[in-house]
Amino acid sequence: MPAVQETIDQVKEIDVDQYKYGFETNIESVKAPKGLNEDIVKFISDKKGEPEWMLQWRLDAYKRWRAMTEPTWAKVSYPKIDFEDLYYYSAPKNTEGPKTLDEVDPELLATYEKLGIPLKEQEVLAGVQGSKVAVDAVFDSVSVVTTFKEELAKAGVIFCSISEALREHPDLVKKYLGSVVPQSDNYYAALNSAVFSDGSFVYVPEGVRCPMELSTYFRINEKQTGQFERTLIIADKGAYVSYLEGCTAPMRDENQLHAAVVELVALDDAEIKYSTVQNWYPGDATGKGGIYNFVTKRGDCRGVNSKISWTQVETGSAITWKYPSCILRGDNSRGEFYSIAVSNGYQQVDSGTKMIHLGKNTSSRIISKGIAAGKSQNTYRGLVSAHRKATNSRNFTCCDSLLIGNQCGAHTVPYIEAKNSTAHFEHEATTSKISEDMLFYCRQRGLSEEEAVALVVNGFVRDVLQQLPMEFLAETQRLIGISLEGSVG
Amino acid sequence: MVTTKNKVEQGLVEAFQDVADRLVGGAEEREAAIARFEATGFPHRRIEEWKYTDLRNMVKEAHTPFMPGGSKTLDEGVLQKALGPLSAIDATRIVFVDGQHQSSFDQLDESAVSVATLANQLASHSDGDQSLLADREATFRGSSVVDLNTALVTDGTEITIGPGSKPAKPILVVHVAQSANPAMTTIRHKISCGAGAEASLVEVFVRAPGAADAGLINTVSEVDVGNGAQFAHIKCVSNVAKTSQLANWHVTIGADANYRAFHFTAGCGLARSDGLIQFRGERSKLDFSGAFLGRDTDHIDTTLVIEHLVPHCESRELFKGVLDDRARGIFQGKVLVTQDAQKTDGKQMAQALMLSPDSEFDSKPELEIYADDVLCGHGSTSAELDEDLLFYLRSRGIPKDQARSLLIESFVGEALACVEVDSVREALTKLARTWLMEV
Repeated sequence: MPAVQETIDQVKEIDVDQYKYGFETNIESVKAPKGLNEDIVKFISDKKGEPEWMLQWRLDAYKRWRAMTEPTWAKVSYPKIDFEDLYYYSAPKNTEGPKTLDEVDPELLATYEKLGIPLKEQEVLAGVQGSKVAVDAVFDSVSVVTTFKEELAKAGVIFCSISEALREHPDLVKKYLGSVVPQSDNYYAALNSAVFSDGSFVYVPEGVRCPMELSTYFRINEKQTGQFERTLIIADKGAYVSYLEGCTAPMRDENQLHAAVVELVALDDAEIKYSTVQNWYPGDATGKGGIYNFVTKRGDCRGVNSKISWTQVETGSAITWKYPSCILRGDNSRGEFYSIAVSNGYQQVDSGTKMIHLGKNTSSRIISKGIAAGKSQNTYRGLVSAHRKATNSRNFTCCDSLLIGNQCGAHTVPYIEAKNSTAHFEHEATTSKISEDMLFYCRQRGLSEEEAVALVVNGFVRDVLQQLPMEFLAETQRLIGISLEGSVG
Repeated sequence: MVTTKNKVEQGLVEAFQDVADRLVGGAEEREAAIARFEATGFPHRRIEEWKYTDLRNMVKEAHTPFMPGGSKTLDEGVLQKALGPLSAIDATRIVFVDGQHQSSFDQLDESAVSVATLANQLASHSDGDQSLLADREATFRGSSVVDLNTALVTDGTEITIGPGSKPAKPILVVHVAQSANPAMTTIRHKISCGAGAEASLVEVFVRAPGAADAGLINTVSEVDVGNGAQFAHIKCVSNVAKTSQLANWHVTIGADANYRAFHFTAGCGLARSDGLIQFRGERSKLDFSGAFLGRDTDHIDTTLVIEHLVPHCESRELFKGVLDDRARGIFQGKVLVTQDAQKTDGKQMAQALMLSPDSEFDSKPELEIYADDVLCGHGSTSAELDEDLLFYLRSRGIPKDQARSLLIESFVGEALACVEVDSVREALTKLARTWLMEV
């Protein structure tokens, strides 16, 4: 059955021409020369005052990247990116290492205020009285400020920009950087490894439950600049951390590249919850401009009983190429992936997850909802695999998609590989199945068919959204109403 | 792109050159096809659709192509033995021994069905007319396995079921491997089920006792199902030892038609079945199901592409597999719904029962949808035998082994139930049972 009017209106509200964060901040910046070569890599490393081993690591990644070719397997099409026509480093002037908020350029503070991101610690997020969120604000290539650092330090939690971590905690960085996503993992990860400029670093020590939500807000501002951030989160034994990520960019005619790498490491009994609201500029109604979001996100459940959960709400970017994954290495570890991807205009989304079961009794769950409207293409691509030694592994996957209009496309490309007979894998598009009985029940109670569908499916979507931390609900509230009636598997 | 070709691929090209002057008809088409094959070689794991079946590595030998000539010495008794339970099917029978048609075994008693051998058809067409091997849907969209078939095809059938005719018996096209020397057999069938006709056809692949336990069989079936026709099309590969079976089906379905296909594979070293099924007329139905049973190092791959090109059509897929030892089962099913194909109803399900810790099941149920008012679903499960069910049966006094076979049989039975022709379903059930007895 086709989408109901209510859904269509709601999707229209977040259509590409409704983009609210498209303004530009006029601020002086320091840039590296255009193009990419070993000197640029050295320039970035030097700017950051990095140790020698880090420079070598970057140069090694750069060499590997040079030898690689751009992947073409994703269901997206775009003109070839000229990697020599980009700035790989751009930083607001005089912001290198501000110690306190007072040292931060007021222009920048105004920008974040406009985006609704409170950087002043006494401020709290609207509607979430009493709750505190520590923010690491990344502007183009550098982290401008990290809030609540002292309070976190009291609990033993390290939360800072990765450049700072390289200076202050080099051993930790050296131990974990690249251990989940190696330099040569894929084309964009290699590029990121060579030129990443900033990002967040989190270390939660043994047995600590992080006292507040941590978050990073990424903002691309400068023209013709690529943003390459690197996030590394380590939850030591028995630790817990919830991390949020948000992103926006100005409206421009050109396409800008964002190639991030996120690495999560969960040791024994640790849990990491990673939530993203991705709202990069999606391009205008004719498909001009927008961010190319080529991201490698991977979590490693290294210890026994560890858990990593990814939740994402994807509404932005011209092209999304993103597969937050879990390597379930530790016995009894658990991976989760909850995703809602809405594409409009000429957006192209190729997203999904990988659940790689290596340990015994590992379990994973994938819930993915794709909504395609306008002339967009929305693809779910996922891998679930059980290796020979992954005895008693379990997976449940459910991916549904909805099309609004006949100019768009929704695709599902799941790979299911069971190499162990005790693995129980279920992959199903259950929407129609669920609704048959439930619809009947609701209609028996006097609801019209449309109301019944909306009720059933909203209940289900709410399930996914409930995985999001409170702070994000405000932003995703408008998505909640979207019902997925008439879904196709 | 330069491809590094291995010895087998090179050997096949050379084998073609050796026999080229003895291949009848379509010389130009054959030359072009082998040139394409030479350029690309066998599909390998870097090609998405062949991710799980690396043909380049799996075809280990360039077998000599069987060339027609002389009559085969195979008596009816041996044929019956090779057919096993399938011999009980009362059918219109056409027999190929090592890829060569043997009219002495044919039992053609249906006037509604016209049968010609492809060898005769190729011979009777003048060189100028190459329509027999010309690009059927661009030779199944550039498959090098189909190219190899085009280059080397020696025989096959052209079966026409007249419009409105309803032959009482199923048509059995039997392929028997008899030679003790492993070789390569290349066959192509052109099957047309006329408007309003109702018929069923079974392609059977068996091995005579004492025949080589290796070799390569490459078959192509081109099927057209007319408007309002009801056509059941079954492929049965049974106990062919370690031979490699490469099958390509291209099917077009007209309006208001009903096409029911079934693939049964039990005991085959390497089986790869590709299907491209296209809905060309509205309000038609497709049921494509199958059962695959693998043990030892069997590798059974079914890859289907179903294209909903017109509105109001329905497709159903149900594949069930039982995998023992180090066997590997693969199901890749893609359903494409084009922008115009509104009101499409598509469902697919692939399930595997893994009996051994070393078995493997890979599944890729893919959907590509461009229409907004459709209902498509897919599912895939894999697991070992349910201990609870086993316990239940045993608590009712059924011995463990028997309980196991009961459960396995019922699992496979669900797929076999999709075969509507009674005699064929019974024969396949018997074959499955025989296979399961050895578990």
